[in-house]
This record gives sequence, structure tokens and C-alpha cells, in this order.
Amino acid sequence: MKKASIPAVISTALICFIFWLLISGGLVALCQGAPDVRNLVVGLLVSVFVGLFSARFFIHESPFYLWNPAKLLQLLFYCICIFPIELIKANLDVALRALNPVLPINPGIVKVPVDVQSEYGQAMLANSITLTPGTITMDIVEEEVPVGEASPAKEGEEAAPLPTKPQTFYYIHWINVASEDPKEAGDAIKGTLEKGVRRIFD
Amino acid sequence: MRIVVDVLIVISIFFAFAGVVGMLRMPDSFTRMQSSTNIATMGVLGVILGGAVYAALGLHEPVMVVKLLVLGVFYIITNPISGHAICRGAYKHGVRPKEEMKCHKYGEDMVEEK
Amino acid sequence: MSELLFFAVCFIVLALCLFIRVILGPSVADRAVAADSVDILCDMALILFALHSGRSIFLDIALITAVLGFVGSTLVARYLEGRL
Repeated sequence: MKKASIPAVISTALICFIFWLLISGGLVALCQGAPDVRNLVVGLLVSVFVGLFSARFFIHESPFYLWNPAKLLQLLFYCICIFPIELIKANLDVALRALNPVLPINPGIVKVPVDVQSEYGQAMLANSITLTPGTITMDIVEEEVPVGEASPAKEGEEAAPLPTKPQTFYYIHWINVASEDPKEAGDAIKGTLEKGVRRIFD
Repeated sequence: MRIVVDVLIVISIFFAFAGVVGMLRMPDSFTRMQSSTNIATMGVLGVILGGAVYAALGLHEPVMVVKLLVLGVFYIITNPISGHAICRGAYKHGVRPKEEMKCHKYGEDMVEEK
Repeated sequence: MSELLFFAVCFIVLALCLFIRVILGPSVADRAVAADSVDILCDMALILFALHSGRSIFLDIALITAVLGFVGSTLVARYLEGRL
């Protein structure tokens, strides 16, 4: 495991400090114009201390990526507009399926390709899929898949091996399998979510 | 204000009820986990939002509003992690879905690796 | 506003119904998930009680209960996977 760099420590400490402000009521006091200085200093010390030890578990790629206002706005848009709509639709579906004995359930585990490159994006997409009822991400694997079409082999020659590229796959437990084809299942499960995540992390 | 709070909390109770019924009558472990997600998303969010409205307009305590929102965000972040971990752990421990599953890619690939 | 207490009682009743699954769940995973859900439902009742009484200290307790439920279920999952 690599050592934590200074920006990673600063980023983690900032997140911890914001959490401290929210929990201890410091933010409300700050907005009302009566900040408690001792509270803020203790919070800053504790969050730097926590950041020193936990930054190497928390930050793996570029530390200040999400402190960019445009990306932060995209993240806010994803959390407020795109995701809750999917959440409510899936919730209604699963709730009716549970309450109504006539509606069938046919569970299954499908394998779905994912086109998000960054690690955070993959984790965020997997968490979003798990959070919508009806789908649970079971595992993430990375496999080599061939690219392009196979050229017809000539007589007496062996077919050249196709070039491959790494591709991420999710195994998803789905409560109502609509199609077993990876592409169609992927569109049905994560069509809009993946677009939103790609806008943040690519 | 009271009507908004009551409607939000009643929605939350409805989804929690649906989740409990689903957990009691679904046939195998994995579908029961799906129903538990139902409790942990809408069942939580309704109470959190309704409570935030009530604390802001009825009680006039901004500290409670901030704490409620932090609690909601915490639930939303941590719940899928534990759900995913328990699902995978149960599969590796030997809990199998019922035979009537439509397709079962994970099991096929796991067998191929061995 | 005493409807809040009524709603809290509704949540507690749902949690008690879920104890059936904790008792007769066939596998460990069922029991872990059901216990986690009981934790969440009791947390909701605690939040409603905090709103009824107007004290924000109960919200801190609710946050701690949420953290403990998360750590507990993740620990059970890690044990099931055989890496503890």
C-alpha cells in the first residue's frame, strides 16, 4: 500500500471538517454570526489527525477532482434530479410486486458491461444500482474482451489473435429479468444512471 | 405544513410496510434482500424529509434540520455497501437461490474458474 | 403534535413483525438483513420521538445506532465470506 500524499491528507481532512461542522452545530452558529472558536479549532485538529491516518484508504486517484465547482454541480444535479426519479420508480415497482401476489417475480443474475473508467465512478454506479430496489450488484470483474471483427482466415494460415482490451463487468441480481442479453439488460438497469455518472467522472 | 409532514411520513410507512411484507413472503434469500432495500430507501427518506420540514417550520431549530439531513445522507451512502457485502458473502458462504431462476451467469462463471 | 407518536408506534409494530423473519430465517444472511432492517425501523421511531419531544440529543443517538448497524452487518458479511 502506497503512502498517503499531502493533497490526499488535505482533501480527507476537509471532508472530515465539513462533517464535523454539520454534526456539532458549528455551521449553524457560523451562519448566525456567533462562531464558537474553541469548537472550530478542536474540530480542525481532530480532522487533520484523522486525515493523516485514513487518507491512504480513502483517496486513490487525483485528490482534488471533486473540489471543482462544475463537477460538484454535476454531482448535485445527479443527486437531486436524476437519481430520485429512478429510485421512486423502482420503489413503486418492488412494493407493488411484494404486496400483490398476482404479479410474478422471476429473479436471475445477469452480467452487464459497464463503460465507466474511473474507480470512483465504478463504485458510485455500483452503489446507485444497489440502492435502487430490485437490483443488487453482486460482484465487479475485469475481463479481456476482443475488439473488432474476426478477419476470415486464409488457407494454410492460422487466424491472428484479436487485439483485446479490458472491460468491466457487473454481476447484478435482478428481481424481474426482462432480457438475458447483456446490452438490453444494461440499458434497462442502468441506462440513465450511467449517463449521469459518466458526466461526472469522465 | 402539518399536511405535508403527515403525507411524507405516511408514504414512508407505506413503503416500510411493503418491505416488511416482502421480507416475510418472498421465496429465497436474495429476493428478501431486495425487499429490505425498499425499507432502507423510501422508508428512511420520507421520515427524514418530513422531519426536516417539521423541524424547520414547526420547531424552528436549524440544528435539528442539519442533523436530520446528515443522517439521511449517511443512510444513503452506507446502506448499499452493507447490502452488497452481505449479498456476496451469502453467495460465497453457500446460500443458493432457488432453482427456478431464469438465468444464472454468476454461478456458471464461478464454476468455470474452479 | 401527537400524531408523531402514533407514527412511531406504527414503525415499532412493523419492527416487531420483522422479528418473525429474524427468528425463523433459514440462513445467516436472512437473519443479518432482517436484524439490520429492525435497526433501521427502530431508528425511524427514535427520530420521530426526537421530533415529538423537540430535543436534538436523540438525533445523535440515532446517528450512532445507524453507524453501529452498518458496522455490524458489514462484519457479518465479512465473516460469511471467510476473511475475518
